[in-house]
Amino acid sequence: MVSRAQIGLALALGLLALVSTAEGGVLFSNLTRTLAVEATIQSTNSTTGVAHVGSDHLVVSWALNSSLADSGLDAKYVNVNIKLCYAPVSQTDRGWRKTNNDLHKDKTCGKGIGSQKYVPGGNTTNWRITKDVPGAIYFVRVYAVDADGVQLGFGQTTNAAKSSNLIEILPISGRHASIDVASAIFSVFSVGSLISFLGVEAIRSKKAANARAGK
Amino acid sequence: MAANANWQDGNTKGEPGSSLHGVTGREPVFQMTMETVGEKEATDLKGRKFALPVDSEHKAKTVRLYSVAAPHMRTFHLSWIAFMICFFSTFAAPPLMPVIRDNLGLTKVDIGNAGIASVAGAVVSRLLMGTICDLVGPRYGCAILMMITAPAIFCMPLVSTPVGFILVRFFIGFCLATFVSCQFWMSSMFNSKIVGIANGTAAGWGNMGGGIVQLVMPLVFDIIRRDIGSEKFTAWRIAFFVPGVLQVMMGLLVLTLGQDLPDGNYAELKREGEKVNDSFQKVFLYAVTNYRTYIFALTYGYCFGVELTVDNIIAEYFYDRFDLNLQTAGIIASTFGLMNLFSRPLGGVLSDVVAARWGMRGRLWNLWIIQTVGGVLCIVLGLTGQLGPAIAVMLIFSFFVQAACGATFGVIPFISRRSLGIISGATGAGGNIGAVTTQGIFFMSSKYTTEDGIMLMGIMIVACTLPVIFVHFPQWGSMFCPPSKATEEDYYISEWSKEEQSNGLHHASMKFAENSKSERGRQSPPRSKEETVGVDRL
Repeated sequence: MVSRAQIGLALALGLLALVSTAEGGVLFSNLTRTLAVEATIQSTNSTTGVAHVGSDHLVVSWALNSSLADSGLDAKYVNVNIKLCYAPVSQTDRGWRKTNNDLHKDKTCGKGIGSQKYVPGGNTTNWRITKDVPGAIYFVRVYAVDADGVQLGFGQTTNAAKSSNLIEILPISGRHASIDVASAIFSVFSVGSLISFLGVEAIRSKKAANARAGK
Repeated sequence: MAANANWQDGNTKGEPGSSLHGVTGREPVFQMTMETVGEKEATDLKGRKFALPVDSEHKAKTVRLYSVAAPHMRTFHLSWIAFMICFFSTFAAPPLMPVIRDNLGLTKVDIGNAGIASVAGAVVSRLLMGTICDLVGPRYGCAILMMITAPAIFCMPLVSTPVGFILVRFFIGFCLATFVSCQFWMSSMFNSKIVGIANGTAAGWGNMGGGIVQLVMPLVFDIIRRDIGSEKFTAWRIAFFVPGVLQVMMGLLVLTLGQDLPDGNYAELKREGEKVNDSFQKVFLYAVTNYRTYIFALTYGYCFGVELTVDNIIAEYFYDRFDLNLQTAGIIASTFGLMNLFSRPLGGVLSDVVAARWGMRGRLWNLWIIQTVGGVLCIVLGLTGQLGPAIAVMLIFSFFVQAACGATFGVIPFISRRSLGIISGATGAGGNIGAVTTQGIFFMSSKYTTEDGIMLMGIMIVACTLPVIFVHFPQWGSMFCPPSKATEEDYYISEWSKEEQSNGLHHASMKFAENSKSERGRQSPPRSKEETVGVDRL
């Protein structure tokens, strides 16, 4: 029967999928923490540790750890990638932000802040927090990468447990007064046109019934 | 009309011939049928000729898909498009979930609850819609439902909390009851010989809305973001005006162009006592005391319910597991729903083809095999980690799951003649309950990853399809048991009390019983003794 052949085909495909190997990626646990990173919020309001998207800036400064200045660990560093990463409290119950030791599969650091050339003396970047950043608790991580983009080392603004020195970012709601008004207008139109339609048909059928009764 | 008329005889009137029939079974039980007189000259009450050949009730005898002639084909197209747009609205959020979950700070539990809410509302509204159609007609039922739920769609752009999101999806989900009005309307417009194909095609094409939306919403979102320059968190809100406006437009079209019956609208026509309403209590009683109702409600929950669940989770699944962008994930997810173009009608057709040879036992085996294979493929889908094979498995899985829906309604019309409407409604509601349960168990908490949830759902499909083995018709047998000496007449007459029989209320059921002898399949041994008894009873 056709369905048996299809079962066989499907199972074969499934087995192939299981058997095929996935590409190995860089493991986060293998990276050395060589960079010192600091992030400060430049904000128009006074609440510390809280930033608003769209209006506030994040100033990130990074440099090679002073104790490792002549260690040669940074020999292969070509660029640095600066990323905004979710703190554990914003990852709970949200599998799409899960931390994975395999950096190919890791989803902790979803938002890229910027990329700069590596210099041992370090650099600073000023980033205006974009409006598509979701509301959550964050820290900043900087990956040192080689010419092919493979991660070699990192630094972050928080401790290994990702519990200290966290940044809270408040998002936009996405709502606008014009959308609210349009919503109201369309809703009223929908219900209103229905009621008027039903009313007109009711009146018409009454007229027809009266005409018939009158005949 | 000879009582021994061959069931294949095209002249038998008002009898369900092929499988997918009478999906709502709201055909009047007692309607007197008249001989067709010069059918080519049939005209409606206003004296206009019908574009299609019609029978004595002015129901069309053919389906011409390319025509929009009033009233039959226009009804067909209005009806399935309305149902499709309701599916579109109900599943408009899932393809945009990666954006919505960031905007509203949703957790997996919130998303799961919203998915359940979106299909839970329809459990009740589907059960009520049959009665509403009976009272005010399918045109009003469909249009009123669509235009009353449209404000819920327009509330989606205003949502800013998880609770608001769940509530709005709950209220939008009510409009899935247009399934019932769609099927009811088809049954009023198309002769029972072809109402099966009309209903199956309309249901399949309507379900496609769940696929089309996965394509359209990410595209609309992208256009708004790129070309209008909105922020992501604003663009998805504006995108929701598309399903809302479509639904209002369709509601208006249904009101202006639609027509309840071939001869006109309910309000215009006088119901001259041709239709005598059956006792609701009796009809309800025979539905709830028939164990087959429960078995098929359960199994439909694991084909249609699974289809609804997958519509809710599949775009997010491809986005997350395979790291695709929103548009690509949407395109892949849409293929699942789009398979409905042919897979659901084919499921019913397959049921008919199998029944011609093996009768009802064939139909039951057909349903069990298709649905179980669907379950196995679901398990494989959960285990598939590569993108290409995952898409292939999903496509084959979607065919089997949707064909199982079609095949289920190949059996439903034979469970009961008297209570067909309620049993069909209960089956449909069972589909939604299955969706609620499945999403609740496997896709809510972070206990299971989505891929594990899909695999476990597949195991549950296989387990919950097993009860089909226990469906036994005394006159036709079951999957493993041959029929007893009972006849079709015995089975269908058991729904009428002696009093009702003496009043002659059971005649339509007897006609149905006669025609349902086709469910014996070919080469069944003649049971001449029972045949005579059946004729005497008539």
